[in-house]
Order: sequence, then C-alpha cells, then structure tokens
Amino acid sequence: MSLEVAIVVEDAVEYSFAMEYHGPPITRELPRAVPINVDRIPVASVVSPLPFPDSLSLPVVQPISAADIIGKKLIKDLKLSSSSAELLTVSPTSVIAFESQNNEVSEGSYSKELGLGTETSVSPSSVINASVESETENRSSNDICALSGELSSDFECCNRDDVLSGVNERGYSSISHDEFVGGVGSSGVLESSDSFEKSMEFSGSLRKSRLSGAYKETLDFNESNRTDWESNESVLSVDYLSSRVSSRKFGDGNQDSGGGDVRRAPVVTFCDIESDDENVDDDYSRSEPEVVRMKKEPAAKVRKGACYRCLKGNRFTEKEVCMVCDAKYCNNCVLRAMGSMPEGRKCVTCIGYPISELKRASLGKCSRMLKRLLNDLEVKQIMKAEKFCEVNQLPPEYISVNGRPLYHDELVMLQSCSNPPKKLKPGNYWYDKVSGLWGKVGQKPLQIITPHLNVGGPVKANASNGNTQVYINGREITKVELRMLKLAGVQCAGNPHFWVNEDGSYQEEGQKNTKGFIWGKAGTKLLCAVLSLPVPSKSSDLCGEQISSSISRSMPDYLEQRVIQKLLLIGYSGSGTSTIFKQARILYKDIPFSEDEREHITLVIQSHVYNYIGILLEGRERFEEESLHELRQHQSCDGPDGDVDGNGEETPYSIGPRLKAFSDWLLKIMASGTLEAIFPAACREYAPLVEELCSSVAFKATYKRRHELESLPSISSYFLEQAVEILKPDYKPSDLDILYAEHVTSSNGLACVDFSFPEPVYDGDDSGDLHDSLLRYQLIRLQAKGFGENCKWLEMLEDVRVVIFCVSLSDYDQFALDGDGNRVNKMMLSKKFFENMVTHPTFDQMEFLLLLNKLDSFEEKIEQVPLTKCEWFDDFHPVISRNRSNSNNSNHPTLGQLGFHYVAVKFKRLFAALTGRKLYASAVKALDPTSVDTALKYAREVLSWDEERPNVSLSEYSIYSTEASSFSH
Amino acid sequence: MSVAELKERHMAAAETVNSLKERLKQKRLLLLDTDVARYARSQGQTRVSFGLTDLVCCRTLQGHTGKVYSMDWTPEKNRIVSASQDGRLIVWNALTSQKTHAIKLPCAWVMTCAFSPSGQSVACGGLDSMCSIFNLNSQTDKDGNLPVSRVLSGHKGYVSSCQYVPDEDTHLITASGDQTCVLWDITTGLRTSVFGGEFQSGHTADVLSVSINGSNSRMFISGSCDSTARLWDTRVASRAVRTFHGHEGDVNTVKFFPDGHRFGSGSDDGTCRLFDIRTGHQLQEYNQQHDDNEAPHVTSIAFSTSGRLLFAGYTNGDCYVWDTLLAEVVLNLGKLQNSHDSRISCLGLSADGSALCTGSWDSNLKIWAFGGHRRVH
Repeated sequence: MSLEVAIVVEDAVEYSFAMEYHGPPITRELPRAVPINVDRIPVASVVSPLPFPDSLSLPVVQPISAADIIGKKLIKDLKLSSSSAELLTVSPTSVIAFESQNNEVSEGSYSKELGLGTETSVSPSSVINASVESETENRSSNDICALSGELSSDFECCNRDDVLSGVNERGYSSISHDEFVGGVGSSGVLESSDSFEKSMEFSGSLRKSRLSGAYKETLDFNESNRTDWESNESVLSVDYLSSRVSSRKFGDGNQDSGGGDVRRAPVVTFCDIESDDENVDDDYSRSEPEVVRMKKEPAAKVRKGACYRCLKGNRFTEKEVCMVCDAKYCNNCVLRAMGSMPEGRKCVTCIGYPISELKRASLGKCSRMLKRLLNDLEVKQIMKAEKFCEVNQLPPEYISVNGRPLYHDELVMLQSCSNPPKKLKPGNYWYDKVSGLWGKVGQKPLQIITPHLNVGGPVKANASNGNTQVYINGREITKVELRMLKLAGVQCAGNPHFWVNEDGSYQEEGQKNTKGFIWGKAGTKLLCAVLSLPVPSKSSDLCGEQISSSISRSMPDYLEQRVIQKLLLIGYSGSGTSTIFKQARILYKDIPFSEDEREHITLVIQSHVYNYIGILLEGRERFEEESLHELRQHQSCDGPDGDVDGNGEETPYSIGPRLKAFSDWLLKIMASGTLEAIFPAACREYAPLVEELCSSVAFKATYKRRHELESLPSISSYFLEQAVEILKPDYKPSDLDILYAEHVTSSNGLACVDFSFPEPVYDGDDSGDLHDSLLRYQLIRLQAKGFGENCKWLEMLEDVRVVIFCVSLSDYDQFALDGDGNRVNKMMLSKKFFENMVTHPTFDQMEFLLLLNKLDSFEEKIEQVPLTKCEWFDDFHPVISRNRSNSNNSNHPTLGQLGFHYVAVKFKRLFAALTGRKLYASAVKALDPTSVDTALKYAREVLSWDEERPNVSLSEYSIYSTEASSFSH
Repeated sequence: MSVAELKERHMAAAETVNSLKERLKQKRLLLLDTDVARYARSQGQTRVSFGLTDLVCCRTLQGHTGKVYSMDWTPEKNRIVSASQDGRLIVWNALTSQKTHAIKLPCAWVMTCAFSPSGQSVACGGLDSMCSIFNLNSQTDKDGNLPVSRVLSGHKGYVSSCQYVPDEDTHLITASGDQTCVLWDITTGLRTSVFGGEFQSGHTADVLSVSINGSNSRMFISGSCDSTARLWDTRVASRAVRTFHGHEGDVNTVKFFPDGHRFGSGSDDGTCRLFDIRTGHQLQEYNQQHDDNEAPHVTSIAFSTSGRLLFAGYTNGDCYVWDTLLAEVVLNLGKLQNSHDSRISCLGLSADGSALCTGSWDSNLKIWAFGGHRRVH
C-alpha cells in the first residue's frame, strides 16, 4: 500500500509544475486554490501493524485450551462477529477479492484476537459496552439506509454497467484466486472456509437470530441485515457499512494493479467511511428485496460459464443450478456445494431459502447430471424432498386472490381442498366463492374450483375485466362468457345480474326462483371446451362430501405437520385412560377396530371372563369354608351331642364333584399363570361346563357376595352377567363390550389415534368451522407404568399441545401397593404422578387438562364413603342443605357435584402452586360417549384459547379465579 | 409365617446382601492397586496427539426435521441408517451424503435403529414397544412408503435399543423399558429367549442399551437404569453371567471393546468406564472434571478399531475423544469447527474405522474423518 501511495505522490509531483502565464491581464478574479486539508483526505492510514509477510503466516488457528474457554468465548464471540461482519461486504464487483480477504481476515483476526484477549483480558462488561454502543450506531445507520431508498433504481443501472464492464477484471481476479488456492493447498482452503463458517455461527449466536438454518449461510447478508433492522439487536451493521466500502475500494485497487496481489485485501479494511454515504445507499438498495421475501445472490460471481466452486470449465460443461441463487456447479463440485440436499438442489448456504420463482417449473425434474452422479434411489429422494419440502412450496403472499395476498392458512386451504386450482403460480387471481369460478385478474375464468373457500377478499366487479354489463355473482363477465351463456340458452337481454351456484343453477339477482342450470345441457360442456372456458369437474358434484373427502385424502407431510395437533392422554393405572381412548376411537373412527383387533379382543375378553370366574370360584371356596366353619360352630353351640355328619354338610356354596373338578382345574391353571396359553382350546370344551356352573346355586350365591372379593374388578359384573354368551366360540364383542373390557388396547407403551371432530350439524357457512374440520388431532395414550423416576423418553413428546391428565374420582378410598410395597391411597398415587408430570421439564409451559373420570361411580360412592377417607381431602366439609329430601332441583348441588368441584379445586391449587399457571378441569364419564366427546372438545377449546391467549387471558382468568375462590375450605 | 415376620426376614436378608456388597467393594478396591492410566503412565506411554486436520467434519447429513435419536452403520458399505423424532428412518449413503431411503414410521416415537449385517434391512424400535423390520428392497406402496416387513412384538415397555447378531440377518437382540432384553428370531417373529424380567436375576430397571460381543456373538452386555451393566450368555437366559457395578447413574450406553474382552459404558453420572468381562473389575474411569457440579451425561460411546480412542457424546454437545490408555481427553469434537449445535445423541464408527458419525438433537448427522494432509509440527 505504501508503494501505491508513493506512486500517487510521484504523480502529484509530475502534474504540479506551474507554467508561467504570458497572456493578457485578466479582469476577473482568479480562482484561488483552496488549501488541501491533509487530514480530510481519505488515506488508508493504519497500515503498518501488518506487514505482508506476517499476514501471510497469520492464518494459523490456535488450539483452544479447554480451560477458561468460557472466559475467552465472550471475547471471541465479539471479535468473530466483527470479523464476520466484515464478511458482509460483498459488493458484486469484488467478490473474489473478498473471498480471499475474508479467509485471511477471519482467520487472522481470529487467532490474533484470541491472543489479544488473553493478554489484555477484556472484561465482559466492556464487551457489553461495545455492543451497546454499536447498537445505537446501528440505529443511526438504519436511519441512513431508510432515507436513501430512492436512490435504489439509479444504482441498479450503474451496478449493471459495472457488471458488464467488469467481466474482464473478474476473469483476472479469479485466476489470481486460483493461484492462491494452489499455493496454499487444498487443506488450507478447507480449513479456512471452515473457520469462516464457524465465525458466522458465532455471530449468529450473538445476534440470536431466529432464522434457524440461516447460520451456515456464508453470505447471507440481506437476510441478516433485514433481521437486524427489524430487531435492532445486532452489532453488525456498522461494521457492515465500513467494511463494504473498504472491500469495494479494494476491488478498485485490484483492478488498477491488474489483478495483482490478492493478499493485500485485509490491509484496506481499516478505512474510514463517514464521507462515503453514496456507496452506503447503493448497497442498501441492492440488498433491499423487491418482494417481502428476500432473494439470494450466489455466493460468488464468477466468469461466465465457469463452475462457481472450482471456477473451472466453460459454458459448455454440464452444470447443476442452485434453485435459490442460480449458482452453477460442475460435475465435481455439485455434491460438495450442495451437500446432502435436504431441500433439493440448493447450495448448502441456500438451504432454508425459498426457491427462485423462475425455477418453480423445474422443481422435482431431475437433470441428467445428477442421474449420472447418483443412483436412482438417491435421485428419487432428492426430487421428493425438493418437491415436497415446506420451504419450496409456493409462498402464500405471492398469490393474491381478489386483490388480497393470501395467508398461509388460506393457501393451505386452497391447496388441500377437494378441487384445487391447477398449477398454481404466483400472481393475482380472482375467485368467485359462490360458483367456484377461478381465474387470473383481468382474464376469463380458468377453472372451477371448490366453492365457499374463505380465501382472499370478495370478488370485484372488474375482476375479469369484462365489459358486457352482465354480472355473475357481482363480477362483470367477459365477452366469451357472455357468448357461452347465450349459446347455453340463458336469457341475457337487459344486462341481467345473475347469481350462479356451484352446481350451475342460476337465478337473477333479487329473485328466488332458479331459472335453470348452465351446465345442464350436454352441449354446453362441449361448447365450453371450444371457448376454452372451464366446466365443473366431477368431484365438485359431490359437494356434500367434500369435507369428509378432504380429510381422508392423504396430505403432503409439510401440511400434515402443521395441521395435526397432538393431545397426550396420561393417568395413573386404573384411571380410565384406555376407556377414553377406546371411546375416542368409537366416536371418531368409521371403523374403530379392525377385524384382527376384534379377534384379539375376543380372546382377551374371554380369558378375562375365565379369570373372573376363577376369582369367584376362589371366593366360593372361601365362603364355603367360612360357612362350614360357622355351621360347625353353630352346631357345636347347639349341643355337643348333635350328630355331625361331614358328608351331609350342605352350604349354599357347595358344588357338585364335576364342577368341583373343573373349579380345581381352573384355579390350578390360574395359579400357574398359563391361562392365556391354554384357554382358546379350552373354550369350546368347557363352554357347557361353564354354563352349568353359572346356573348353579353356589355360584349365584357367591356372585351376590362379589363385593367382598377385592380382586374382582367392578367391571366384571358386566361380563359375568353374560358370561355364557361370551364364552361361546362364536362370540363377537360389541363396541360396548370392547369399551368395558380391560387391557384390550395394546396396553404396553404407547397407542395413538388420529381423528378429526365431525362437522357440526348446523350450517357450515361459518368459515372458522370449515377450517376446523381440516384440523386433525392425534390422541396419544401412554401407560403410566413406563414413567419411571427419570423417564428418559418423555422429552420425545415435547411437541404435544395439551396434556390430558386423567384421574379416577372414585379412587379416593382405594388402596394400592406402591414401589416400596406400602399400601397407599390410589388418589395419593395419582397426585404424586400428577406432580411428577407437571414439574417435568418437557411439560414446562404446557397446557394441562385434568379429566376427573368415573363421576358416575363417584356420585354413588360418596354417599356411602366420606371423601375424607383420603388424607388429601380431609378438609372437605360440604355445606349440605338441611332439607335434602327436596334438594333435587338444580340450585342445590348434589354431594357428588360438590365433591367433584372440591377435588378439581384441590388439583387446580396444586397446579397453580407448582407452575403458577391455571389448570383446566372437567368431569367425565368415560363410558358415556357424549361425555368423552365433550371432554375432547374441551381440549380443543383449550388449544384455541391457547392460541388467542394474548387477547383474552385476563377476562378468562377472572372467570376461573372466581370459580376457584368460591370453594373455600 | 405371618406377613410381618416375612417382612422382617426380608429386611434382614436385604441388609446382609448390602453389607456383603459393601465388603466386596472394599475388597475390590483393596485389590485394585492400579488402573489402566496409572500403569500406562508408569510404562512411559504418551498420549495420542491430534493435528488440526486429523479429524474434521467432512460431511453433514441434513434431512431430518427432528432430533436425531439413533444411528447405525452397515457393516460392509458406507451406508448409515438414522432415526429421528420426526418419525422417519433415513438411510444415507455416507460417501455422497445423499439419502437412499426415507421411511415414514407408523409410530413416530422411535428410539433406536439398526442395520442388518447384510445391509438388506433395517430395524427400529421405540415407544410402541415393538421392533419393526423394514426390508430395503421391498416395493413401496402408493404413497411411497416402505411397508413393514416384520413386527417383533412382545415387549411390555418401550424398545430402547436393538442390535443384529453379527453375521446373522435372522437374529436380533433388543433392550426394553420392561427391564428385559430379548433375542428374537426374525423369520418367525418370535422370542427365542428373554433375559431378565420375571425372575429377579436380571435388571431391576429399564434396560437402555445392548452391545453384542463382536468376536463371540453369544455374549452380550446390557446397560440399565439400575446403574449396572450385565453380561449375558444367549444360551443361558435365566441369569446374567456377571453384573458390573460402579456407575452412580443410569447406564445409557454400553459398547464392547474391539477385542471382546472388555467393554465400555457411559452413564448419567457423567463418566465412561471400562470393565473387564473376565475379571468383572472396572479397569478405568473416564471422567472430565467440570467446574460446576452438574456433569453432562454421557449419551453414547464408540471405540476406535484399535481401541486406543474412545469417542463419547455428552448431553451438553461435547464429544470427547478419550485416550483409553491414559484416560485423557485428546480432542473435543464439540469445540471443533462445524460441530453440532446441540446434544450429541448417538455416535458410531464405520466398519473399517475410517469415519465417525455423530447424530445430534440439532437434527443433523455429521461424519468425521481424517482431513487428509497432516501438518508437520
């Protein structure tokens, strides 16, 4: 650089010879030479600290010692961010120079700053200061940029000139770059680019960019700047300005010296830029995207026809093009430059960016080159990813319907409807919601799509730019349409305003009677084809079933992930989660259980019934012994002389020897635990025996005392009542049987069911409901057994939206053995499980819905067993009206209702104490379909409240708080 | 005998067992006069040193949209299968870094995956308590999904780990949350033997990991939440051959040492350990001291082909390369350029030992290999 300055000085000397003036005397005043203020000349001042040989040897990454990494990291972050900010300097003309510069800078400064950091030990506070300062500066730069927007178009032109004239220079510099690469060796290059990426990542973490995936964008300036300007968080912008200019200058210098020494680049970066406003403007205008979405420029500009990575080849070599930035890569480089292509053919740096709209047509169409490089399977996967990944989908704001750009939901609705617009391209469209007519703005209709979609605004009169003064649904139609109408036999005299429905029936505006069907005649469709006008497709004839068909249609994954809402159903064992799960299947699925499942369920139910019978027989033996004992005592009390005949003893519990043998056999089998293994065969054989048994007096007597048998589940009576039918070989379980049966769903681990709530019966005009029917839910049921102390896999379920926690209300007097073998109240176990789940880090900030199940049996039980039996509920002192006999009216809640509210409040308080948030609670009777339906719809409400929370949280909370406070203890 | 009396006797017995265990531990400590590191140092071993380009990230496999939970290499070719929270198995060509199969799973909650020795099929398991086998050569259905070719059901808890028996495409060992390991016959889909479970001879908590001995495929190791690892003989299902105590947290991962006489384990206590299966002794503990007392858990380990290096992934995103002889960290992949942004959940070495693949919760997999061109120091 000093050399260059010297040349300048020499030049100055050469031209400063003053010639003596010989002409006539001058009347006007001579222009005086203004003394040059040396300080104000932009001089590349701070050069000396980096003599060239040193800068050459600089790029050595110092190994980072593990110790005090954190201390260094702050410094490193800052420095790297600044160095990476300098990377934000690509001006189109000087990219090559920039690249090498950036390699040097990032590495050089990286290692250097590390050293500096350890020597001078920059304290964290100073770092913060710096960032604060730059933040304010950032704001000012923001202003500058905002002001300079008008200059943009000018610059576009001159920039283009630059590009044209600069081709040669670029060729030069690229060659020099090649040499440079060769000199250092490939490993060096790899490494430096690595470090460069790293630095970008650091800077990314510093500015906490929300654009995940933007991290590895090497040259993602536009995007990053945009976010910076939005958030004012970043420290990058100031550096950005200065360094941009500097690199531009360098580019000039490079041209002067004829593609000379590339390594000089870092020297110039210290230049001051305050005077250089114009350049700043230019650059801003360049980075300003035309549309809201930004456009990505290729990372490097290269000689025309060359590969963007290896810089070799000419325009005839075959190349693959990045769908985003239009960079072209040759055979050897494409896999390196595009990596694993998770979104199709994009540079690694372009991943996460929307594709260029010009290339939408080639989406999913493979080139020969890829086919040659990769095998069929790989190509197929790439093309699949390219076509179906979310980023590559049409951006909704590019499509404007009836003068309003779409939102994402609307686009999804438009594309997922039963009869979507074909080959949707960005542009302005009109859409007649009543008839489903669809066309480009200013043109005749293209297609008839699904009507009544709530997309865009209302259709405008001049949407299709008609001038016929005949209106269909408020749109002035085109001449072609008018001709079609006339030929179809529609009376169009007197410029009528028609009202056309989706089935083609039309009526004049203001009149009720249908005048006819446009597409009724056979010839009309042919006519439409001739005039290239759309006719309704077949599927729209079944408009009644549209919604159901759109649900059953398999959706692309990118839509599915957005649409499915996951509900997690958990509860302590015996809380009825499986019943709710089964109920949901029966409620929302057309075929709740497949044939295979039913077969399996039949076996399960039958083995259960055997099990119940076994328990009863066991009980019978006990009762028999007891009653025998009693009988003996009784007899012995009566008198010792009583003739006791062992064989003659008859109790109500005695059975005949044949049944006795069966009973013994069954008990033996049960004791050995092989019931499941043998019984399908046994079923046929023993069915008559069982029938006999069930009708025996002893069995009936035992059945009457079944409440004394603790191991017999309460649900068994439902099956034992019809034991004879069930144990017949041709038994087919009804839905109700399945619902009542225990352990029929795959009880181990996880089960899930996808469903959507059926369309409400009332008129579907409300668009919100139409949209809701698109929403699908996934109910996931988990077995409580798996939730260990530090359950490792719960974090897999972090994407659920609501946790539905199920508690059996009637558990309050039940006991179970906990892990240590102690008898614990089941309600307390539920509570403990609830606490565990609520405080689990995975469910932090998750909505919880508490379902208090088995309300029916609870209501019965609470009349007999006080709620205070559970120690948690010992302060339950309900105020019961004295005149209970006539308290059946709704004003006086029953004891059961009081108990339910009390328990709900108990849980709500517990939840609030643990999380500070609010628990939704609802009672449910799992065996009652409507009750389960209501509960699951409540879960849906919770979800929608969650979405609207910012608006309504206050008022909503007050409702609940009053409810909570009304139950004081 | 009354219940109270039984309880009392049980308590007494448990106490005896504990005291015996304690004595055993003391005795072991007494006999264990040295560990590997001290001995190696006394023998004048020096630590492995790494150049800048000796291990670099040379491929990034992008394509999953959720956390990667598990990965496995094929034994013969350079292919990788990975399982992610997005409910997909992806089969990768590690050389081109392209996907060859993307399998959408019926149950999205997948925890483990494995490549069959022939490379023809992949297995996966997860919260659905089943192990599903996919034949990669079978025809896809109309939605482009690969159908399940066999389902191995029988576990009563989630399937946490699965591994094919080496050189056999028909046998597979799974570990499960129901405290058992199961050897399956894939052709019939039935359990050949169940290890642990009903009798109190096996693990007393969820089994998280299995590793089959490469040189003697009858022996395998299982690691469990009961903070022990157990050695099993597939011919003797009734009881574990040996139980290895030492860890103070859940044993998340076990891996056989290449020679088959030792195995490594990684745990929630933040340490990796090396055990000898013949003596039952712990040979070495690999523990990096952290300033804060909350040590990151070890999620996955792998040995280099020689066994000199132990790669260990941690929950904080670190991936240490341990010198197994000197018990020193020689490299931290988590601090290298291009490293993962999040927890390293799984890692594995390719069959020829030339590349390491790491999977992370940042939804990427990375392949690390020798970066060519060793610099002169």
